[in-house]
Amino acid sequence: MTDVSAEEEVSEEPAFALPTGVGEGSALDQVATVARLEFALAVRNRWAFALAALFASLSVLVVALGGQGGVVRADAVVVSLVELSALLLPLVALLFGYDAVVGSDESGWLGVLFALPVPRSRIVVGTYLGRLAVFTGAVVAGFGVGGLWLAAQGRFTPAYLGLVGAAVLGGAAFLALSTLLSTLAAEKTHALGGALLLWVWVALVHDLVSVGLIAADIVGPDWLAVFVLANPATAFRVLALQSVPTVTGGMADVLVGSGVTPPVLVAALVAWSVAGTWLASRLVRRRSV
Amino acid sequence: MHAIATTDLTKRYGDVTALDGVSLSIEAGTTFGLLGTNGAGKSTLFKLLVGHLTPDSGTVTVGGKDVTDAGHRLREVVGYVPEHAGFPDALTGREVLGYHARLRGVPKAERADRVAAALGTVGLDDAADRRVSGYSNGMNRRLALASALLDRPRLLLLDEPTAGLDPLGVAEFHRILDRLREESDLTVVLTTHVLAEVEALCDDAAVLHDGELLFDGSVDELRELGEADELEAGFGALIADAGGSRGETVSGAEREQPAPATGDAESEQPASTEVER
Repeated sequence: MTDVSAEEEVSEEPAFALPTGVGEGSALDQVATVARLEFALAVRNRWAFALAALFASLSVLVVALGGQGGVVRADAVVVSLVELSALLLPLVALLFGYDAVVGSDESGWLGVLFALPVPRSRIVVGTYLGRLAVFTGAVVAGFGVGGLWLAAQGRFTPAYLGLVGAAVLGGAAFLALSTLLSTLAAEKTHALGGALLLWVWVALVHDLVSVGLIAADIVGPDWLAVFVLANPATAFRVLALQSVPTVTGGMADVLVGSGVTPPVLVAALVAWSVAGTWLASRLVRRRSV
Repeated sequence: MHAIATTDLTKRYGDVTALDGVSLSIEAGTTFGLLGTNGAGKSTLFKLLVGHLTPDSGTVTVGGKDVTDAGHRLREVVGYVPEHAGFPDALTGREVLGYHARLRGVPKAERADRVAAALGTVGLDDAADRRVSGYSNGMNRRLALASALLDRPRLLLLDEPTAGLDPLGVAEFHRILDRLREESDLTVVLTTHVLAEVEALCDDAAVLHDGELLFDGSVDELRELGEADELEAGFGALIADAGGSRGETVSGAEREQPAPATGDAESEQPASTEVER
């Protein structure tokens, strides 16, 4: 070994050349591989089944307690399910995603992945998409059980499909936010604490503050649309409720004419998902492993 | 030919200087030991070499290419085994490497053979289809090494490869590295606290202390720095001297008395004490 001078660096032939142009795994293939890996891990670790069982239990319980009756009664079942899901869905999605990055880091797996010739952003996006596939499957399968039971009783309502679609979109948004938290956190406990604080805000505090601000005339009623879109849990609830034709009064009436239509709500939830994942994929570059 | 070259490499974490003006080069085809106490800057140097960190000043080149410019594709020719490598418990060793091969862009037709070859190289053939949850610490390290070897790297960076292994695990790891050295022109750089490991495996070595390069030269030259002509004595003498001569890098040739007057190009270099700051 020798000391290096600038002259040596210029004149000496490199020991080997770095690859150029060809041979790299494609971005899409790398993201898909990480997503498949995440999906396989969630299935083998029984996370996928646990989530599906949770949503199935919830939907069966509400359908069972909903009693017998016609379509109006079935709509009431959907409304009950929406209200429960508005509390539970964010919590489950946040708890499912909070360790996506920081958990892998603590186990040493992230360091191994980062040692591969794969940009970190692709690893984060793949991890998110893999978990999203698991979450989506669990929501569809779990709520599907309740839906099948309703159908067996001859009182299936299209609103139920609206609920499932909104739950997938809402879950995607919260999974993206938990992935972002996981990317920012130095330790798993920090990510978990952040996820729980976020849940308290979106599920319990945000709407109270919003209504309070409007009721106290601090902001005008036109701010309601902003408040709805600013909270993925509220956006999920309003989107799911807008698919129930027999729902009247309350927020549904207040929002008439506010521009908060189903397409706007869908776009808002997609925006939350994309923004959260994009930010996580950018900020992971700063993460020390 | 240099596999690695750094010039005045400096990295700070806030007020803490992890590396301070480190200039060294590592010849291709050699096995190089990076020695130092805890917090010496060894892992920081490795993270700079694989592009996980960017230097505050100075340059670091691998294969003649600036690491900062090379991006993630650098790791196609650099196999890196981090100190705390871990794997998902639910996967088998073969599955882990299968995913890694795909992420590395290994063609589908070659994947199974490459994975089998890497598992064979590290002696995990028999455990390939067992879940990683049943692997010992040493098997985990070997699996990480197999992953690093999948893409037939030209440079292998091993961060504390035998830390925490039992003597049998250490011996097995050494045998694997010996075989790799015999069978290829791989450049291997390893960090370690274990001087015996440097003696057993390395051609050359460098000593880092508090982010500064105290020594670079051959292992024999490091050994000769101590009065007892043992590696421990040489290392101990360097660390003991560090407080009184901070900023000085001892090249291996410096303490040889007298400097041999041969026609060898390296020996004609002046015995230098390079002041880094």
